[in-house]
Amino acid sequence: MPSNKPSAKNRTRAVEARFKVGDRVRVKDLPNLFYSRTQMYVRGAVGTIAALTYQDVLPEDEAFNRDGRLEQYYIVRFRQKDLWPEYPFENDSLQTESPERWLEPVDS
Amino acid sequence: MSHTHSPGDGGGDHPAAPMVEEITDFEVLEIAVRELAIEHGLFTAEDHRRFTEWAESIGPAAGSRLVAKAWTDPAFKKRLLEDAVKACKEIGIDWAEPTGFGTPSDYMNLRVLEDTPTLHHVIVCTLCSCYPRPLLGMSPEWYRTTNYRRRLVRWPRQVLAEFGLILPPEVEIRVEDSNQKCRFMVLPMRPEGTENWTEEQLAAIVTRDCMIGVALPRPGRTADVHPVQKARRPVQRS
Repeated sequence: MPSNKPSAKNRTRAVEARFKVGDRVRVKDLPNLFYSRTQMYVRGAVGTIAALTYQDVLPEDEAFNRDGRLEQYYIVRFRQKDLWPEYPFENDSLQTESPERWLEPVDS
Repeated sequence: MSHTHSPGDGGGDHPAAPMVEEITDFEVLEIAVRELAIEHGLFTAEDHRRFTEWAESIGPAAGSRLVAKAWTDPAFKKRLLEDAVKACKEIGIDWAEPTGFGTPSDYMNLRVLEDTPTLHHVIVCTLCSCYPRPLLGMSPEWYRTTNYRRRLVRWPRQVLAEFGLILPPEVEIRVEDSNQKCRFMVLPMRPEGTENWTEEQLAAIVTRDCMIGVALPRPGRTADVHPVQKARRPVQRS
């Protein structure tokens, strides 16, 4: 059975999380040529950290079986109005998960 | 077999179309990788058959029991919201099975999303079909369609309405896109009219759709029956 467990030696060290629950973050629009799990519809959007989930390697590395460093993953909450400007309902929201590398802090 | 043709439709014989099994690139890839793995002795064809049959035999019953228990046992609900994988063990579902660290695509991260009078959750995986399979079994076919995946994030209220679920604008709809390694399940609100019900009675109304978030549990609703939209201009048989 193939393993999804962090197996390589340098994957096991815990890293310090850069963000905490409530922090405002923007999803970066990094180039990616091959595999990514950062959806186009959240790129550039500003949201709020809703939870810290686990630490793991980046999907962009893992997809090609490359060892990478562990990163903190977050659940980020967006207002639907911030994702789709003409969205008609004020309160609705959307959450998605993201590794730290794809997030940057937003001031104020 | 006999056909009746109306004038002007071309007429002539219509030979039966050859039966072609449609197969996607990913299915071809899966077969190739599986056969390589068997050839190299990573597992046997028999292992693969048994695992597939086991995976396909899991239904949503465990999820229903989990919700019913959370409704009747506040301490259990608290544990469930804090560490869902651990709480699953209490009802006999071990996310580590059968490998010791989960199945290759279910991982070990489950979060239960609690609905409130002002917040309703609904889950989707816009990338593919991520789904809490140890609890709910295989996802329904519609959950995996691009139609559901791309429209739910963009027009959640319209998609829910197509399932027959219309919520007032004051209720926040929160779409959960499970695009990484967390899996999600909705903990719906216990409906009125279920006071003094047993856990078994409660579990019977917690259907798969209620735990995805496209339906709400209510007394008497024990199956996921979707409204049938009749064609406006059905094919006329001549």
